[in-house]
Amino acid sequence: MPVISLTVNGNPVTADVEPRWLLSRLLRDHLGLTGTHVGCDTSQCGACVIHVDGKPVKSCAMLAAQADGAQITTIEGLAQKGKLHPMQEAFRDNHALQCGFCTPGMVMMSVALATEQPDLDEPAVRKGLEGNLCRCTGYQNIINAVMVGAKAMRG
Amino acid sequence: MEKYGIGQPVRRKEDVRFLTGTGTYIDDIKPDNLIHAVVLRSPHAHAKILDLDTSEAETMPGVLCIVTGKDWVAEDFQPMPTKSAVNKKIDGTPLNQPPRHAIAIDRVRYVGEPVALIVAETLVQAQDAAEVVEVDYEELEAVTDQIKALEPGAPQIWDDIEGNFCIDFELGDKEGTGKAFETADHVVKLKLRNQCVTAAPIETRGAIASYDKDTGKYFLQNATQNVHANRDTFASVLKIPSEDLHHMAPDVGGGFGAKNSGYPEPSLLLYAAKKTDRPIKWIGDRNESFAADTHGRDQATTVEMALDKDGMFLGLRTRTVGNIGAYCWTVGPFTPTGGSARTQGGPYYIPAMHYTGIAAFTNTMPLDPYRGAGRPEGSFQIERIVELAARELGMDPVELRRKNLMPADSLPRKTPMGLDVDTGNFPEVFERTLKMSDRAGFAKRFEESARKGLRRGFAIAPYLECTGGGPKEFAGVKFGKDGSATLRVGSMSTGMGQETSMPQILSDTLGIDFEKITYVQGDTDATPIGGGHGGSRNMEVGGSAVLQCAREVLVKAKQLAAHLLNSNADDMELKESVFTDVKTDQNVSMADVVAASFDQSRLPDGMEAGALDTDTIFEREIISCPNGCHSAEVEVDPETGTVQVEHMWIVDDFGTIINPMLADGQVMGGVAQGLGQALMEEIVYDEDSGQLVTGSLMDYALPRADSMPKMEMAFYEDAPTAKNPLGVKGSGEAGCCGAPPAIVNAVLDALKEDGVTHIEMPLTPEKVWRAIQDAKQQGA
Amino acid sequence: MYEFEYHQPKSLEEATKLFADADDPQFMAGGQTIIPVMKQRLAMPSDIIDLGKISDLQGISVDGGALTIGAMTHHNEVAGSDEVRKAIPALAELASHIGDPAVRNRGTIGGSIANNDPAADYPAALVALGATVQTTSREIAAEDFFTAMFETALDEGEMIVNVTFPAPEKAAYEKFPNPASRYATTGVFVAKTGESVRVAVTGAGACVFRQIDFEKALLGDFSPSALDGLTVSTDGLNSDLHASAEYRANLISVLAKRAVKHAG
Ligand SMILES: Cc1cc2nc3c(=O)[nH]c(=O)nc-3n(C[C@H](O)[C@H](O)[C@H](O)COP(=O)(O)OP(=O)(O)OC[C@H]3O[C@@H](n4cnc5c(N)ncnc54)[C@H](O)[C@@H]3O)c2cc1C
Ligand code: FES
Ligand code: FES
Repeated sequence: MPVISLTVNGNPVTADVEPRWLLSRLLRDHLGLTGTHVGCDTSQCGACVIHVDGKPVKSCAMLAAQADGAQITTIEGLAQKGKLHPMQEAFRDNHALQCGFCTPGMVMMSVALATEQPDLDEPAVRKGLEGNLCRCTGYQNIINAVMVGAKAMRG
Repeated sequence: MEKYGIGQPVRRKEDVRFLTGTGTYIDDIKPDNLIHAVVLRSPHAHAKILDLDTSEAETMPGVLCIVTGKDWVAEDFQPMPTKSAVNKKIDGTPLNQPPRHAIAIDRVRYVGEPVALIVAETLVQAQDAAEVVEVDYEELEAVTDQIKALEPGAPQIWDDIEGNFCIDFELGDKEGTGKAFETADHVVKLKLRNQCVTAAPIETRGAIASYDKDTGKYFLQNATQNVHANRDTFASVLKIPSEDLHHMAPDVGGGFGAKNSGYPEPSLLLYAAKKTDRPIKWIGDRNESFAADTHGRDQATTVEMALDKDGMFLGLRTRTVGNIGAYCWTVGPFTPTGGSARTQGGPYYIPAMHYTGIAAFTNTMPLDPYRGAGRPEGSFQIERIVELAARELGMDPVELRRKNLMPADSLPRKTPMGLDVDTGNFPEVFERTLKMSDRAGFAKRFEESARKGLRRGFAIAPYLECTGGGPKEFAGVKFGKDGSATLRVGSMSTGMGQETSMPQILSDTLGIDFEKITYVQGDTDATPIGGGHGGSRNMEVGGSAVLQCAREVLVKAKQLAAHLLNSNADDMELKESVFTDVKTDQNVSMADVVAASFDQSRLPDGMEAGALDTDTIFEREIISCPNGCHSAEVEVDPETGTVQVEHMWIVDDFGTIINPMLADGQVMGGVAQGLGQALMEEIVYDEDSGQLVTGSLMDYALPRADSMPKMEMAFYEDAPTAKNPLGVKGSGEAGCCGAPPAIVNAVLDALKEDGVTHIEMPLTPEKVWRAIQDAKQQGA
Repeated sequence: MYEFEYHQPKSLEEATKLFADADDPQFMAGGQTIIPVMKQRLAMPSDIIDLGKISDLQGISVDGGALTIGAMTHHNEVAGSDEVRKAIPALAELASHIGDPAVRNRGTIGGSIANNDPAADYPAALVALGATVQTTSREIAAEDFFTAMFETALDEGEMIVNVTFPAPEKAAYEKFPNPASRYATTGVFVAKTGESVRVAVTGAGACVFRQIDFEKALLGDFSPSALDGLTVSTDGLNSDLHASAEYRANLISVLAKRAVKHAG
């Protein structure tokens, strides 16, 4: 079993992992970070998106062993000192979630989009969310929230 | 400061939990000692099970228990009955209902039917063992299409049910409708399908079952929309009293009907939990979701309309054949029969109507309610025939609709389908939608599209709905000495925000602090009855129960306040959380009244400590009729057939709006599912083998952010219903009724110069392209 | 997923040796294909050799008119690279339309072409641009590299090191995405370089192919109208749930014209 060391939401973690464990499994089953959701088997839905070294990736399509040495941020690591991240706040203000199942992946992807593209416009948001499925909201409020959240992140 | 009253767009309580990753969905729950199960499913659409050998699997590492049909027979476990409200054929005999066991006994009838449950210490061990369970099948011929299933000589799915026939049903005036057609100036006829789709919630189904030897009680945590009815179903299967099964739903990641049903897996898990004396978890994967979540729609219909020379509607005749799959599921036979019948004809004044619905068995995963359960199908049928009538009569489709809408002063009215339409103003809602739709700017946008070689079209689709679901609901409130309140309700949210809107009603009526209200749902031990979620019933029935409960509390609180102030209950007025004596101006706060309710020394005679705690059951007399209108503008690329919905405008009459932000959300979510049905979604089985072709998200397309148009919404709030104390009409399913016809008709409008008159849903690029090619050839 | 051994070699030699010593090994690049496949138990390699830590496989460089992209370069790096945007903007554009942002952050050009999914985007670019695949043992011309559905000219244990693209005069890629999977239902890459025009089609057949009659027509007149009147035969084209052969034939014509227009 490979032993890996990584940083998860700012905390150092050392774990003994089986090669076949997915990163999503390490997070959910072994680190108790169940905010990262799994919604499919083919890496289509995006519910499992987290940040690895600052970039959005699907944690269901990465082995835990590959995360050795990585800096990982999950939905649980976004709010700081009990204060919601501006993107989380924007999702709440704009009713951008209903059942909440797609939400962790949506928010993580949205934060990444806003970080990478400071001048994010609506078509860019729609395209940027092409790998994140939501069955509840019809997306309009999500798109509004991302625009508002991105603006708030710019400060 | 946020305001928490009725009508306020209160931000949701549950959001903080969901946004920080601290929600508790079924797969997030991990009891001590947990073991895992996988379901081995039939790879065949139709086959006899000649032999099922688990001996090797049983010796695999970690395997604890394997459940098969043999156990079911040995234990004499019971089949799951259908609860379809329509259960008699036209000739009065009962519907044909084959036994639906939780596990295949000696024959499988659809791909995905459970054949064995394999339980092991770990999930991987269970998966490994499932691979070595040996099942010897003798394949039989399969039929997956309902029309073919009813043809003579079709493969027989049930030996004792001839012709794969489940039930037929009719509603309306057959003779009168026949006469209307005989005397009509014009008759328009169309064959169309509402194709098979599935709810595909992003959270798949799953459950955790356990058994307590000492108490003899079972505990089931389940991603379900309906704990009470399903508890009773599972208990009846296992032949235990309902009280011995505690059924709870944690946070549920979307349902849309597909989590309403009494599925097979929970009974298998409960049985295995008792056998192994360990808590067992099963989480379905996405492939199982496509194969073994109930399907929706799937009706093949002929619809005919009779009109006079001025285009006034005289009669409507609909004959539909529904595909209910291999079994009668929870209420499957109801959808193509009663489910689609009542709102036939939509919001139009049609003097004579007749509806026939047939439900047929096929070798497919069975049907059950999916967002709208019959009403979206009906709405699509009427709007397509109206559009075609306009085309054939050379009339403006907007004008044809306008002149045939039920006039405002014709309400209340009982339609020829027996639907009591009490309040509403269809012409006003229609005109408002039209006004929002910027018709004046259309010509310019049309030109712009044309310059790019694209077509542009517009259509408007008014709809009439009736909400459904169980008629009774429980609400109870318990107070804490600190002024807190726990509100328990039997209806359920799977994302619709009842954790916010139900406390909103309580807070509004009683002036108690919104933040101090805890909301409990989805727990059979917390509420004596509950109708769960389905048929847009949450606000209408659940919300009404909360209001009724709050009003009962108010009566008692006034008495207590009057006692504290030495005055009369009748003189008490509650305003901003304070009771004031209108005569003396003395006052006492609601918080103080709550505190006093726990202090026997401050209570009047006849009141006990905790006197404000109240349980109540609301029962609605009659269903409400939400209605509204959608319009859509689309752009079509004739070279590839690609459709982009550019803009949708929507006006809905949901009566009183409790929280406009949440109601908007319901509409947009429904529109997305409607758009999915119109343009891309379809469950496809291979015609010959009966294999499921669309078994993953690589094949079954769901709408994405870039599929969706800009949506503008408004509410018509001048017609609250008197059928419930809140005045609400259900909002959850409206989007699925309005969007498909608006979008499909807009595409056909865009292609009218090409001569295209009909395309079956989903309007995929290839189908649109092909329709254009075919029309070209016919024209040539 | 079945059990396997996991290795993370630091050099090509180490990777080659690990491969030779294992029973039924597989290389892993971004894992965006192989992990979902293993997860569904559709593959059961004994050993996974992760190429992520091998520096020889990384990086983008320009040398004269040629652009060289390391096998482990992620789609997002290609899409965002200034060098690529300058030398072959159509390639950056193609990379920016693969899957979604998360997939593009992990998936690699080496993994994509080694996998040779009939609906993958990169093969069209390689063939149309006349790229060369450098492996651990030889150079392979793109056209010889893609041999059949999910098959390439790579031998057992042979690794892709990088891909070199000569910069064209004009080029463009047009993709018609599958509504569910986002792969190419059909994609057409058109490139004009000096006296040569190439039209490569992906998604439509079992493997990427050139549309020779289109190339001939465009050689004399590199404009969309040069393709008017040319029809595409349905022979050898795929028919599936999302598109029939006939529809794909139409897409090839339409997308080729659009690509030519787009290339300018
Ligand atoms: C949701 C989703 C959407 C996608 N959409 C698209 C799309 O639109 N278009 C598209 O083209 N692709 C798409 N893909 C596939 C994606 O581009 C993958 O990245 C790609 O197919 C494989 O690359 P990889 O680096 O992930 O390879 P891996 O999955 O790691 O490996 C794939 C195969 O290549 C072999 N291999 C990898 N590197 C080498 C090497 N250097 N030498 C020899 N063999 C090697 C491996 O052994 C394996 O057999 C999608 C994938 C997903 C999950
Ligand atoms: S779980 Fe669906 S993309 Fe990862
Ligand atoms: S909020 Fe339910 S899936 Fe997006």
